[in-house]
Amino acid sequence: MLRRSVLGLLASTPLADVAWAQDDWAKTVEAAKKEGKLVIYTASIGSVFHKAVIKSFEQKYGIGVEMLEARASEVRERVRVEQSAGRFLGDIHHNGSTTTWLMNRDGNFQPHGPVPNIKNIVPPYEADDIRIPCEVISYSLMVNRNLVKPGDEPKSWKDILDPKWSGKILSDDYRALGGGAVFFVVMYDTFGKEFHEKLAAQKPIFSRDLANSERRVARGEYPLYLPFSLQNFNNLKGLPIKPIVPAEGRPYVRFDLTMLKNAPHPNAARVFMNHYLEPESQLVFANAGYAPVVKGVVEKTLEEIRVLLATKAMGTTTPEKQDAMLELAKQIYK
Amino acid sequence: MVTVAAPLGERSASFGGLWRWGRPAGIAALILILCFLSLYPMVMLLYGSLHSTPPGIAGEFNLNGYISIATTENLVVLANTVGISLVKTVLALALAVLLAWIVARTDTPGRGVLEVLITLPFFIPPILTATAWAMLGNAQVGTINLAWRWLSDSDTTLVDVYSYGGVIWHMMQYSTPFIFLFVVDAFRAMDPALEESSRMSGATRWQTFWRVTLALMLPVTTSAFILSFIRGIESFESAVFFGVPVGIEVITTTIYNSITQRAQPDYQSATALSFAALALMFLLLVLQSRLLRGRTFTTVTGKGYSPNIMRLGRLRWVTFGICILFFALTVALPIGQLLLSSFFKFFGFYQADMLTLDHYRSVWENSSFWRAFGNTMLLGVAGATATMTLGGIVAYVTTRTRWRGRRLIDLLAWLPWMMPGMVLGIGFLWGFAILPHGIPIYGTLWALLLAYIALGTPVAVRVTSAAYQQIANDIEECSRVHGAGWWQTLGRILIALAWPAFAVGWVLIFFGIMRELSASILLYAPGTEVLSVVMLKMWVSGKPEEVSVIGLVMLVLVLLFRWVQLKFIKKRISTL
Repeated sequence: MLRRSVLGLLASTPLADVAWAQDDWAKTVEAAKKEGKLVIYTASIGSVFHKAVIKSFEQKYGIGVEMLEARASEVRERVRVEQSAGRFLGDIHHNGSTTTWLMNRDGNFQPHGPVPNIKNIVPPYEADDIRIPCEVISYSLMVNRNLVKPGDEPKSWKDILDPKWSGKILSDDYRALGGGAVFFVVMYDTFGKEFHEKLAAQKPIFSRDLANSERRVARGEYPLYLPFSLQNFNNLKGLPIKPIVPAEGRPYVRFDLTMLKNAPHPNAARVFMNHYLEPESQLVFANAGYAPVVKGVVEKTLEEIRVLLATKAMGTTTPEKQDAMLELAKQIYK
Repeated sequence: MVTVAAPLGERSASFGGLWRWGRPAGIAALILILCFLSLYPMVMLLYGSLHSTPPGIAGEFNLNGYISIATTENLVVLANTVGISLVKTVLALALAVLLAWIVARTDTPGRGVLEVLITLPFFIPPILTATAWAMLGNAQVGTINLAWRWLSDSDTTLVDVYSYGGVIWHMMQYSTPFIFLFVVDAFRAMDPALEESSRMSGATRWQTFWRVTLALMLPVTTSAFILSFIRGIESFESAVFFGVPVGIEVITTTIYNSITQRAQPDYQSATALSFAALALMFLLLVLQSRLLRGRTFTTVTGKGYSPNIMRLGRLRWVTFGICILFFALTVALPIGQLLLSSFFKFFGFYQADMLTLDHYRSVWENSSFWRAFGNTMLLGVAGATATMTLGGIVAYVTTRTRWRGRRLIDLLAWLPWMMPGMVLGIGFLWGFAILPHGIPIYGTLWALLLAYIALGTPVAVRVTSAAYQQIANDIEECSRVHGAGWWQTLGRILIALAWPAFAVGWVLIFFGIMRELSASILLYAPGTEVLSVVMLKMWVSGKPEEVSVIGLVMLVLVLLFRWVQLKFIKKRISTL
């Protein structure tokens, strides 16, 4: 506990940062190279952008990276089972902030120690001695350009309550964890229960197969899809779709990096965390549609993505009320 | 020759002292292996259902998991699940038996090729056929409905896959070839003298079909029915694709919700619900056992026979048409869609400017794919061979001996089939992780191999025991009388006669391993990725076209395997 507090304190004071930058960071990098290996457990499945950042890390430091990719709950269960069986195989955990919060509560992590680039993180994102925000998934609306004329495009989230969209909205399920649940919470917090009661009357069609849903809208099966993850925009280039961030802004979900308890390669983990927060790494994510968490990156992002990311971060979900919100969604959307 | 008159198991005791000690040791070893493969993960899950927290976390024993599932909502889910599975199994069984009879016992033209083509849908990942059918049969812009509207000049909708019918239809595409594979060799291995006797006694062709052919197929058809029905109850993909969007929930989608769709995974409810489903399936097994008790179904006897075929005359073109229709609906349409899509930038957008070979290039250059392909081939070959060996031994003990402990062995071999894959995967994860660290299973290929063997053993046992039940004891006795040892008899009589079934079982298990995801995703480690995990990664990251390419590679493999297998069967049968 004392160690944790001291490390946390070290990480957060400017004086410590300076001292660190001059001296100990070089030792950390040296130790990381000696460890020579890093094992990442991630809930971001199949992301080519992570692979690009990992490749640049491997080239820069000569440290080999192994990745275990699975869905959020599966990663969590593997970590829990491994740690309770005394198997400490992973170094870094990369997951959504809700799952990370729950795992932190369960004691699955250790303090990451000083990471110089933490100082570049911009509000509303904030690191602590355990969690480092690393990229942000933003949610928007998506329309089929052939079916929705520019004049008919929703400008506000409330526009989707117009009767003309009745039966025409394909949506991620609000009653299950994921983008749908985030959308539900943020709209509830912003517009109240009435918004959802009216949206339920629009009879949205739920599907949990996100990748396929986007293509169903692109094919013209439905004119409107929500919530659309902006990082999928690049994958769909060439299709008749358009992402729209309404005037109120975009709901978001933060992804965090943490160091797993008893990580076998702690120095390599720390160096990787720092690398992840480098502007070059963050630009890879930003150009892919993820909101970056450090300063000076949005401005350098590709024009078509920048207009979407330079919008207001509207709100996100909180782990404490997640289950209550899922239950409420079940009652409203029967 | 006193031994000839004694039951087989007792007779074996006369093979000497070694055998006398070897048999109980063998039985004990078999029970131990099965306990580790199936009982061990189930015990972990039982603990999970009775404990407020999963293994490794402090908590208390209670029945809250079971109490929480006793709701009206879950009763509806149960009725949905059983209803859907029952309807699809009945329809698939009827269709599969008809197709098997056509292929194995009639002079329908091209039936050799048809046999391979009919089984293809079974080997395509469900996620791909679901995507294909979502494009073909959605109410708004589905190809079938667009064609129908154009032909009929109306605005009506002919099919809507997002419905009970859609769920059942999608499940049937897997059940029909699965049951077909099960029964086709049983049809082939039947001595036609029994049918000829029926015809000579005045029965019509259809009376003979119903009263003799089908009746003799009872062990294999009931086995296939039970396997398929249970698999239907555990089916996930069809319901999640076509049911959930219109409010149709089944047991597996409810379990999935409990584990992955809540902030705090509720393993206690998920495992309790799984055990409730298991109890239901166990009742079915008891029912099957009672149905078959005291009856014999031997069709392969010591007498020589040649499996002949029924001359249908002009009717053979009708049967040919039935096979072609099935092929067109379940193979040509969805696979054609996959093949076409693999050459376009986006699935379902067939524009000249989107033509590309990028998906093939991307898969070819994907090192993860090749690593996973190598791992999967290794696990597939080793897993299918080991599973068929284990299954063959279990089936022998349970069907052809009266050894004490055989019922326990049968039950142990069945257990993994009765637990939904996504839950059993958790049982393996819990079980393998807590093993002493000196046992190198967790995080290695062994973890996957052992899970695959456990998951495949029920199929191996059913396939081989159905084949064993058709072989008369007199052949085995004859071998013994002529001085053959137990192993010789096993190899040269039983396996020799039942080997077409072995081959089918091997292929079923091999491709089951290629498709298995639930346990794989929980047990793989960096470096031991398998194809299903790589496909999931591609799917989730929005690359269905590349998944299609892998699906097509798998289909080519299927065609190759089936071609080799049928070549051997033909050769074998001609020498019988």
